[in-house]
Amino acid sequence: MKTWRRLAIPYLIWGSFMLLLPMLLIVFYSVIQPGNDVATFRFSLSSYVRFFTDRDFLLILWRSLKIAIETTVLCLLIGYPVAYWISRCSQKTQNLMVLIITLPMWINMLVRTYAWIGILSEGGPLSIVLGWFGFHNVDLLYTEAAVLIGMVYNFLPYMILQIHSSLTKMDPSLIEAASDLGASPFQTFWRVVFPLSIPGVISGITLVFLPAISAFFIPKLLGGGGWFLIGNVIENQFITVGEWNFGSAISVIMAMVMMLLMTLVRKADRKASKEEKA
Amino acid sequence: MENEKTLIQFRNIQKSFDDQIILKGINLDINQNEFVTLLGPSGCGKTTLLRILGGFLSQDGGEVYIDGKEISSLPPYKRELNTVFQKYALFPNMNVYENIAFGLRIKKVSNDIIEQKVMRMLRLIGLEGYEKREITQLSGGQQQRVAIARALVNEPDVLLLDEPLGALDLKLRKEMQYELKRIQQEVGITFIFVTHDQEEALTMSDKIVVMKEGEIQQVGTPVEIYNEPVNAYVARFIGESNILPGIMVDDELVRFDEQDFKCVDKGFKKDQPVDIVIRPEDIDIVPAGKGKLNGTVESVLFKGMLYEVIVETVPGTHVTVNMHITSETANQKDDGHIHISGNSFYLDVDDMEGIQDKDLIARADAQAWNDETDEQLSIESVETNLEKKIGTYEITFTTVGGLSITKTIQVIDQQTVRDEKRNEGVSAFNFFKSKDEIQESVALDTDLKTWANAQGWRLNNEDQGIPLDVTYDFDPETITEGVYPVTFWTKGREFKIHTTDYVKEGSRVGLAFGPEDIHVMEKEGYTS
Repeated sequence: MKTWRRLAIPYLIWGSFMLLLPMLLIVFYSVIQPGNDVATFRFSLSSYVRFFTDRDFLLILWRSLKIAIETTVLCLLIGYPVAYWISRCSQKTQNLMVLIITLPMWINMLVRTYAWIGILSEGGPLSIVLGWFGFHNVDLLYTEAAVLIGMVYNFLPYMILQIHSSLTKMDPSLIEAASDLGASPFQTFWRVVFPLSIPGVISGITLVFLPAISAFFIPKLLGGGGWFLIGNVIENQFITVGEWNFGSAISVIMAMVMMLLMTLVRKADRKASKEEKA
Repeated sequence: MENEKTLIQFRNIQKSFDDQIILKGINLDINQNEFVTLLGPSGCGKTTLLRILGGFLSQDGGEVYIDGKEISSLPPYKRELNTVFQKYALFPNMNVYENIAFGLRIKKVSNDIIEQKVMRMLRLIGLEGYEKREITQLSGGQQQRVAIARALVNEPDVLLLDEPLGALDLKLRKEMQYELKRIQQEVGITFIFVTHDQEEALTMSDKIVVMKEGEIQQVGTPVEIYNEPVNAYVARFIGESNILPGIMVDDELVRFDEQDFKCVDKGFKKDQPVDIVIRPEDIDIVPAGKGKLNGTVESVLFKGMLYEVIVETVPGTHVTVNMHITSETANQKDDGHIHISGNSFYLDVDDMEGIQDKDLIARADAQAWNDETDEQLSIESVETNLEKKIGTYEITFTTVGGLSITKTIQVIDQQTVRDEKRNEGVSAFNFFKSKDEIQESVALDTDLKTWANAQGWRLNNEDQGIPLDVTYDFDPETITEGVYPVTFWTKGREFKIHTTDYVKEGSRVGLAFGPEDIHVMEKEGYTS
């Protein structure tokens, strides 16, 4: 057993090298300022100071957080009922539904987002449908709503699949037992099914929130120039402006914010399940 | 039972899944405060019946009444009964206390009353001090008890238990049997218990319902079911027994194995075919000639408390054939590393219809191999002048490489041994083998049957085989060339006897039993 374990060492070294080095480089870049030539540099926290003293950047950070949270909440509200409904279907239907939900993922995300430009623009399918209900000349493209729709559309499958898998893992006799003990279907759901699906909800939230907060091409394509999010700022710093140090600092700040939020979510979950027991 | 009030009534309950009929019209009454066991093998419909009562399945036809009210349309949460599930189904997100309190919380019982009731339940099941434990920290037996407490705390009229002891080990299962019986007597409600374990049923029940293939076979107390099984199926399922076919000659007179015996059963038609049960513990072993039957002791097994003795009273059908042990060179040839082997064999003139090369290869046990690579080679061609006429013929087997061996086939008119009374036929052929083949056999009894093509069957139905036993009088390790008799035989009438006295294997003994020990039952599927 021990000799076998030793075989993993090269992978471990390779893995940590590939994973850690880029991250360490980013942290390193974030705390330096370039000198007069390539080989000289000096330590400085000025990138961080610049971010936190600029009202525009803080506004963009706030806007990104807001839209990521909205995306996550919407995905949860739409995803949970869908996942629940799928989990109650026959095995055959379930397989089919899961296939349908994963199907869009076979196509490049960028291409699918481009398709939404057509759907959302004035005169597109959505505005025609809305026109039937009396809402004429609706142009959603390049609005906050468009960005939100694009985000929910792209990240919803992750939420559904996570919740669905936690629901199907549940022993169906637990539902029978709750019903046997007098719980109506509604009570059974809130007292047994939902609490047991929370691990799926948490991983669903994680899988939606993290890519949503750092998304950059969805806001770029569907928000036009008007909906700059933090992902776009980072992209700009690296690609257009070429200020790698400032871009790195924003990335580190973002990583900190995400870590903080995920810790809060997990703490809330633990607290909730403890209250359940008490 | 002091209270004989009927609580639950099943009326003509039918159920099928995907065209498979599970319940064929069940009618059953269950009284208040009874411990009723639904007993049967898996697939007999016992769990289905329980789930229909619990409300988890709906029947295709028939009615279920509790206290005179038809409940088929009520969902499970509106039924005044609780279930202990096969795998307990405890809620993993709650501790022991919350699991037990679940039903009371749903009913919005106040917290102090919940506390009182849960604590009383914990005392009843012997798990005081466990209320804060997580479910995953409990052993199987403890989870079982929590499941029972969670159901009982709701004070149901009926507790349904679906094979609740199935997942426990033997010792724990015995303990829980007493525990369940004690709890049932203490709380005084109806328990409906589903199991496939006859011992569990006998230990705990007031009433046993024996089921088979969606039908009730017998309903009765454990003593009634054990002593007076209605048919061979029930007798075989409950306890060990000797079951033999017989004929009811007259009231209180039954005939089996060509002898008449006094019994206590009556009400059968004259000469009606019946099944007879004699329990192993009801037979006494006495000196030969002193009992009602005589026989030879076939085997004696020590079973702890007693000996299980098998006595054969009527011998079975025997056929003896000759086994010719030939020299190695006679049945094998080689060509360097390539070997071929085969044996001469006998063939029944009646069996030659449609015989093919592969059958001849099998009968001769013809094989070819390469001793260097240890590779089996195929027999490329079979040539023979075989005709459908009694006589001696030649057969030649050849490998791909051209190596061949020639053996003889004796076509004979084989006489089978027929026993019309026992409805048995047995046949076997003489055969040829080399010493090596005997010594290399890993399952000699089975190989002997194959080599001799030994078969037993019912005379009235050739497709119904009878298993054969084999005896021989040689030592396979030291066997030499020559002729050896091998006997194939069917089992005769055997009786299983439980006794505390030791008897010697092979000795002649008498068997004694009284008229009350003979239980006469209607034949299964017999309609009078």
